[in-house]
Amino acid sequence: MSDVTTMAAALEAASVRRAFGSVQAVVNASLSVQPGSVTALIGPNGCGKTTLMLMLAGLLRPDGGEVRVGGISPGASPKAARTAVGWMPDVLGTWESLTCRETLATFARAYGLTPADADARAFSLLERVHLADLAEQPARVLSRGQKQRLSLARALVNDPPVLILDEPASGLDPRSRVELRDLVRQLGVEGKAVLVSSHVLAELDEMVDDAVFMSKGVTLGEAADAEVARARTRWRLVAVEGDLAGALARASRDFTVEQVPLGSAAVVSVADDADAAALVAVLVGDGIKVARIAPVGSALEQAYLTMETERR
Amino acid sequence: MTTTSQTPAPGAVPSASRWEPWRVSLSGVRLVAELELRQRVRSTKWKWALASVAVLIGGVTFLVWGATHALGSDSSGAPGDLVFGLVVFFVLFLGLVVSPTLSATSINGDVRDGTMAPLQATALSAADIVLGKLLASWAASLAFLVVALPFIVIAYFDGRMPALAMLTVMAVLALELLVVCAIGLGWSALTARTPASAVLTYTTVAVLVAVLPILFGLLSVTFTEEVEVTYSSREYIYYEGDYFEEPDPDDLPADAQQDAGGSYFVCRDYTYTENRPRTDRLWWLLAVNPYVIVADSAPSPATLDDNYYYGDEGILSGLKQAVREARVGPTASYDECDYELTYEEEQRRARIDALPPVWPWGLAAQALLAAGGVALGVRRLSVPYGKLPTGSRVA
Repeated sequence: MSDVTTMAAALEAASVRRAFGSVQAVVNASLSVQPGSVTALIGPNGCGKTTLMLMLAGLLRPDGGEVRVGGISPGASPKAARTAVGWMPDVLGTWESLTCRETLATFARAYGLTPADADARAFSLLERVHLADLAEQPARVLSRGQKQRLSLARALVNDPPVLILDEPASGLDPRSRVELRDLVRQLGVEGKAVLVSSHVLAELDEMVDDAVFMSKGVTLGEAADAEVARARTRWRLVAVEGDLAGALARASRDFTVEQVPLGSAAVVSVADDADAAALVAVLVGDGIKVARIAPVGSALEQAYLTMETERR
Repeated sequence: MTTTSQTPAPGAVPSASRWEPWRVSLSGVRLVAELELRQRVRSTKWKWALASVAVLIGGVTFLVWGATHALGSDSSGAPGDLVFGLVVFFVLFLGLVVSPTLSATSINGDVRDGTMAPLQATALSAADIVLGKLLASWAASLAFLVVALPFIVIAYFDGRMPALAMLTVMAVLALELLVVCAIGLGWSALTARTPASAVLTYTTVAVLVAVLPILFGLLSVTFTEEVEVTYSSREYIYYEGDYFEEPDPDDLPADAQQDAGGSYFVCRDYTYTENRPRTDRLWWLLAVNPYVIVADSAPSPATLDDNYYYGDEGILSGLKQAVREARVGPTASYDECDYELTYEEEQRRARIDALPPVWPWGLAAQALLAAGGVALGVRRLSVPYGKLPTGSRVA
């Protein structure tokens, strides 16, 4: 939109903290999301993700630290900061008796659009989240996944430069998840700064450029990034025949052997696709019949689980 | 966590942003009101509600009309504002019952349903949302008033109320409903649970309607003051011996008078010291009563009989007279001798007539309550939240 947002981080939090009574929900959270990028906010239940997102959306005042949305501080100019953000809450609240179109048009008007513009905006957003068929249906007949999509459309209604999506994938069927992933990626391509939290980490893997891990109210910085980077290098190799462990040792690779019913398997450290191809060539040359080689599941999930176990 | 949490000083919030939630935009208020009404019209069986209210008020009007005409067919003819007053009071009663249900859950209910936070996240200010909700609940309670209107008009034509009474009664009824809506809104902002706010709103209405008058009664009985009271009583002059014999005019006391039947009597004053309630110090407890405000604001019908101390009978005028009587305080003399008004009574009536009306004060006090309700609502919905109300979450 403006030049300022393309230069600075569109969404920034620095040492933000917030307590509810005696419960310190967010202890020390820092993150920054660049325009045109998608960042995941990952952490166990109750780690302060939602609280942090509420502060970023301008609904909750931090006890300390600094939040900036497109360079605007929500504390100094609440309305300007609020309108720069599209926020999708984790709680699904819909006006049961209003139709999807009316719901979106009402929100569009709440951002100051004229009734005519609001209607047009509502219609195009319903198309975008594949709810056009249900435009004239009251929200109470929507399924959970459809409400979720309506909620996402609601977050987009003011065409904000920053999007904060709290658990957007929960309750979605597989097809809707794929559509959500494509939509989020597309929003990133359009230049929006997207912060998204989810429990479905495999899903996030494919849509995010960056990840922020959070635990007990603290965002984990470089340690977490290193863990993700390390997880990305973990590939699983399955061979039908041959001494896989020996071959890997000869190829001087870091690996751990896995027990499988048939043949042999190992998790190997691989830098990238080219490195994987080179390794396969070496192994095949060594007489190993390689059946499969692929990254081990979701890097985010691995990093998350590793950190979870480390904390215990 | 051992991290010491420093709460930001109140001065940390820039003054410009502090007033942002209070900024009202006409389009914002209209949007929220429209949204509220649209939901209400669709989700509740309002047609049936209005129809049953019409049947109820119609039935009561008919019964009141029948009853008063059956009882009041004496020499005085038309029973004053009896029918009009009773119907107006019944409409007020219904309004006080219905209005809290329209507003008492409007904020905490939306928070519970998760529909409030997305609205707060928009460009709308907290004042837009609160005033929109107030306007919507008021409009809904006005619908009940509109249903009641025909019956109030019918009742009006039964009595001798001045035409202006119609207008003031309708206007004051509408304002009373607005006040109750605002009080409900305030409670729905203050409490997290909807049953709590509903109960508290009804309690507040009950305090205004019943508890304060009861308090007035109890306090006036408890805190009395010794007052010298002069009773002037009529003593008939009889003769020992033959009762039916005409008394000898020469034996009569100098101040003897003859009543309409020709019997002689004298007026004798007796002075006692009595404990009298100081209602003149307590009357304000009645001033905030919705019924008193409605009654006091309605112009009284022209007095039929100047010699009758209490003016016209009727519900509205009667209540108005009673409250004004309470304002003047204890009477020091009772004349049971002379049927004409005594000098003291004329003085007292002049004082009462000269009293400024009660209703502007009552309405002003209620307006403060209403403004408090709106202010609580705006504070409750101002984002970003500093302190969250206990037991509630943002979204």
